Amino acid sequence: MQPKKIMICDDDRGILEMLELFLELEGYNVICEINSTHLTKQLISHKPDLLLLDLWMPILSGDQLIKIIRSTPEIKETPIIVLSASVDGPEIAGNLGANGFVAKPFDLTDITDKINSILKN
Amino acid sequence: MRKNASGINNSKQRIENKNNDLDLYLKALNSAYSGIIITDNLQYDNPIIYCNKAFETISGYAHDEIIGHNCRFLQAQDRSQAERKIIKESIARGEECKIEIRNYRKDGTLFWNELFISPVKNDDGQVTHFIGVQNDISDRKKAEYDLREEKSHVELKIQQRTKELQDKESFLSSIIETVRESLLVLDANYIVLSANRHFLNSFKVTTEETVGNLLFDLGNQQWDISSLKEMLTRILPTNNPVIDYEVDHIFPHIGRKVMLLNAYRIEFEGQYKDRILIAIEDITEKKEQNRRKDDFLSIASHELKTPLTTIKGLFQILQRLSAENTDPKYVSTLDKITAYIDRLNLLIAKLLDTSKIQSGNLELHMDPFEIDKTVQDAVESMRLAAPDSDIQLTGNTGSIVAGDELQIIQVLNNLLSNAIKYSPESKKVEVSIHKVANFIKISVRDYGMGISYQDRLKIFERFFRVSHIQKKFPGLGIGLYVSHEIILHHKGTLWVESEPGEGSTFNFTLPIVTNK
Ligand SMILES: Cc1cc2nc3c(=O)[nH]c(=O)nc-3n(C[C@H](O)[C@H](O)[C@H](O)COP(=O)(O)O)c2cc1C
Repeated sequence: MQPKKIMICDDDRGILEMLELFLELEGYNVICEINSTHLTKQLISHKPDLLLLDLWMPILSGDQLIKIIRSTPEIKETPIIVLSASVDGPEIAGNLGANGFVAKPFDLTDITDKINSILKN
Repeated sequence: MRKNASGINNSKQRIENKNNDLDLYLKALNSAYSGIIITDNLQYDNPIIYCNKAFETISGYAHDEIIGHNCRFLQAQDRSQAERKIIKESIARGEECKIEIRNYRKDGTLFWNELFISPVKNDDGQVTHFIGVQNDISDRKKAEYDLREEKSHVELKIQQRTKELQDKESFLSSIIETVRESLLVLDANYIVLSANRHFLNSFKVTTEETVGNLLFDLGNQQWDISSLKEMLTRILPTNNPVIDYEVDHIFPHIGRKVMLLNAYRIEFEGQYKDRILIAIEDITEKKEQNRRKDDFLSIASHELKTPLTTIKGLFQILQRLSAENTDPKYVSTLDKITAYIDRLNLLIAKLLDTSKIQSGNLELHMDPFEIDKTVQDAVESMRLAAPDSDIQLTGNTGSIVAGDELQIIQVLNNLLSNAIKYSPESKKVEVSIHKVANFIKISVRDYGMGISYQDRLKIFERFFRVSHIQKKFPGLGIGLYVSHEIILHHKGTLWVESEPGEGSTFNFTLPIVTNK
């Protein structure tokens, strides 16, 4: 079976590297994007099975990105899990139609649980 | 002969009659109430040749001590009275005079003598005698004097009072001019009677633009706000002050400002009543600072969480990679790091909680829940977290309260962990839950070091930590502040009872919604 492709978009390099390391250990194919303005293009070219998305990012923030993704035909179905340390994170994620939310800082098992439950469907 | 005899008899009779008459006159004079004397003006120094009984009584001297003396002896040493000269001149001119003069009795006591002197002239017009009539008018004089005294006393008092009022007024006005707050005094019709310097300076207006004008017409009608008007109209009749009324407005000259307005009815005894004092404080800066602080806290906590997420994740990866390494020292070291990462996370969460509360953003999810169960759970998890401690729970209320259960758990955890943390010597912590009227009351009692009165006053303030335990138990010290705010938001109260050395009891109440 082909490994599932997961894209991560976060402006913090530490989090990107940590998640990449972990998810690769978990057997996923991981693509990282630190620059939120490149995300749409990346999504279109890589067509990942799932997107882990940060909210507070410079230039294009996570909530803006969700709107763009949801209205871009090629990628509008991409499952999105929002990762955020922001208090209003769950609300934003819910309102914009993200598929899940995990609060920072998280337990890695929370991440795998969320990913598994979404990819199962 | 007969004639003679009768003549002698007649003259004898006449003399007898005369003597009888004189007797009668003397009796009359002696029964008079006024002192009466006669002086012989033809003799040297006008000696007294007669005095009646009343004169003796008035003067206290006996008849024999009086006759032959000039009447000035009644003046004793008090010889410089202007009246003396008047008498002297009248006597010299042979005229009558009426005078009030200070005289002294034999025993030296003063009496006021109302003296009437009139001359007796012979057929040649020569003044042969003077008659003096004296009345002791001491009582009247005293009454007059008292009256005068009283009057001047009253006058003095009025003077003093006026001065006092002036002093008070200048005292007041110097305070009013000195305070760093804008003050306006209005009359009952909201016309500005005075504005202090601070008002004029901060609003960049002149006295002419302000005094004499209707408050609501000032500037660009910034105070013409219907709700403020309504409150102001209630001040005088009800004496209800306006407290901390916020006005957010773009003021002429000074731009957008947030002003805090307080208004009171004032009365200045004797001077006026039914005036309104308005104190205006510019809180623009204060509000801005608070906002910046909250922003800072919320950004800071967000920023702190980011690297923490990385550390936590990397660490969990490390734990998994080293699962095979079972060296107990290695494993316990990893566990410790986990504990500290969690603690750091908790501190950051608290920081954010505080900033949320401060900016009034604390979100409450008001759902009914069984409080007994909540308390049991909180106690149970605290027992697991602190296996050394001895937490005892008593009471069961069967009540439902409405609120954010997670936040109530946060409060319980905070109180329980404080109880454990601040009583290192005694591990016993007693938790009780009871019904009190329409409330449930939860108490957490420890037998630790206790809290002094001074500290108890401040313990629920933001960032407060009991000073002497600061070093021993470091932390951010916002837990109690947050707990206090949470309970307040639930319409309950949180308070502490404590004595140093005897432990503390933290209590809080929550309103009951229903009983099961
Ligand atoms: C009839 C008569 C009665 C007087 N009675 C008084 C008197 O009661 N008290 C008094 O102080 N002086 C009285 N005088 C005034 C004094 O005798 C005296 O004339 C006065 O003190 C002025 O004189 P001097 O400056 O030599 O003392 C009386 C004088 C006369 C003639």
